[in-house]
Amino acid sequence: MKPAVLVTTLTGILLVAVIISAGLGALSVSPLQSIAILLRQVGIHLDVPYSDQQEVVITAIRLPRVLFGIFIGATLAMCGTAIQGLFRNPLADPVLIGISSGAALFTVVMIVAGLQLFAGLFNMIGAYALSLAAFAGAFITAIIVYRISQAGGKTIVSTMLLAGIAISAMAAAGTGIMTLMANDAQLRTITFWNLGSLGGANWQSLGVLVPVCMICLVGLPTLSKPLNALVLGETNAAHIGINVESLKTKVIVLTALGVGVCVSVSGIIGFVGLVTPHIIRKLIGPEHKNVFIASGLLGAIILVIADLLCRTIIAPVEIPIGIVTALLGAPFFLYLLLKEKKTQIVF
Amino acid sequence: MLQAAHISFKNSHRYLLHNVSFEVKAGEVLSVLGANGAGKSTLLKNISGELQPHKGTLIFKNKPLHSWKNHELARQRGVLSQHYQVSLPFTSFQIAMMGRYPHFKNHPLPNDHDIVKQCLCFSGIEHLADRNYLTLSGGEQQRVQIARVLAQLWDDASTDKLLLLDEPVSALDIQYQHHIMQLIRKLAVRGFAIISVVHDLNLALQYSDRILLLKNGTQVAFGDTALLNKQHIKEVYGVESELIAHPVENRKYIIITE
Repeated sequence: MKPAVLVTTLTGILLVAVIISAGLGALSVSPLQSIAILLRQVGIHLDVPYSDQQEVVITAIRLPRVLFGIFIGATLAMCGTAIQGLFRNPLADPVLIGISSGAALFTVVMIVAGLQLFAGLFNMIGAYALSLAAFAGAFITAIIVYRISQAGGKTIVSTMLLAGIAISAMAAAGTGIMTLMANDAQLRTITFWNLGSLGGANWQSLGVLVPVCMICLVGLPTLSKPLNALVLGETNAAHIGINVESLKTKVIVLTALGVGVCVSVSGIIGFVGLVTPHIIRKLIGPEHKNVFIASGLLGAIILVIADLLCRTIIAPVEIPIGIVTALLGAPFFLYLLLKEKKTQIVF
Repeated sequence: MLQAAHISFKNSHRYLLHNVSFEVKAGEVLSVLGANGAGKSTLLKNISGELQPHKGTLIFKNKPLHSWKNHELARQRGVLSQHYQVSLPFTSFQIAMMGRYPHFKNHPLPNDHDIVKQCLCFSGIEHLADRNYLTLSGGEQQRVQIARVLAQLWDDASTDKLLLLDEPVSALDIQYQHHIMQLIRKLAVRGFAIISVVHDLNLALQYSDRILLLKNGTQVAFGDTALLNKQHIKEVYGVESELIAHPVENRKYIIITE
């Protein structure tokens, strides 16, 4: 498939998903009304009648949530693409190798103990404190896992995945300790973080999420060429003029930023970063520029639709979105393992 | 083009290279020969910048090698390694296009496409251009990598480039061994300087201008291919040999005797 065709198709699907998602829920809004309300926000009037209540539900509740899905989905998918490129391995994923757990642990520590430990920090940066903690956790784990899994210029896949398990276990233990110290409200927040949810969406947190995500969404595709070259291995990439150390730093910082901010507002949402680039590569090949753009779009689609399912299937109860992505993604991961075992390309 | 003087390199225990000096000029093929563990690949890594010599100097185009900027060097010097661990399903064309990366910023120009096509033809794999690299045989993959390194150095304006090859033909069948060695000679005629690690003594004798013989990291001989004689073969490889006249061509041929 031509990359341009895929990108156009995915953009179309995303638009449809956004309109449907904005319309479905306890208060039903028809697609036409959704479009009218959304366009009204940017100053375009359509001759479609809708109630004030519908407008409030869409603008105050559903639109932020849909935007959450778009930005978090796109960021996680692009970070997954970047991490797979950095590790030169299609089984790498921010959640599987523990980056998200590291971010979650730091976030939970910040929730429970942050006010006592970093009161000054909270006063200064307010809503950004959690994101900063998540970024620090993501950054540290990314560096640790990368260091551990590299030997002689190659990624040892089993070590990478096992290091991810070890770090996730440590993070779980740390989170466990925090739950002992937490009060009821904090406990609920921690549970929410561990399962992942877009339920915390509002315009204020979008103010934190969107700028940081934009850094990733714009920054990561600029690394496409060096990431392509990296498949030849670090030394061979250096031989064609790539500054490998700078590339590694950029990928780790941008990924930690992206995963960190997503975890800090929505908890751990797994498998989007793993599955999305795979589907895209199957369709248009592994060239990173194309994969970044198309993965971003598909990641957004997946999260918007997954979140729609989460909040409508057994309404009024909401399923945490991390459960849905894990239910869909984990079997896919097993399928990948089986496939790699057969082709012997990775192991 | 490249002058190496008194190169020494040691790991934590011992010297892997000791006081190696040689020179390669534009238009020359220099073959590096020696038994396993003699330091051939280590020498190549010292020249490619992957390892830093502990002593000695490397001068490339009248400038110390370490003072070259990485991306400038990439337009002047190509390196073909022994092993490539490609794990994503790039096509042969996309892999070969990576050789043009030092030449364009974000998007390849039409000129880059033309060069990659020419280089794929040169290595005899134009029919594999759209194939997934991971599904190719070892020899085919090697030829894709050769095309990539060629594309990297392909430049109509200047032809005095340095090409480092670590066992370029070991994975290939006899037809392509000679095909690639002939290609290397053609590049030398264009003005390339080529340093190549070779195992096959007769390929070295047939296609190189000069040889560098290594034993345990020290230099046994450097100079004309006539240095590849009985005494040196005995010293370096520990085997007896005879040099006989080639039955068809006007050159020597090495046979190993009991």
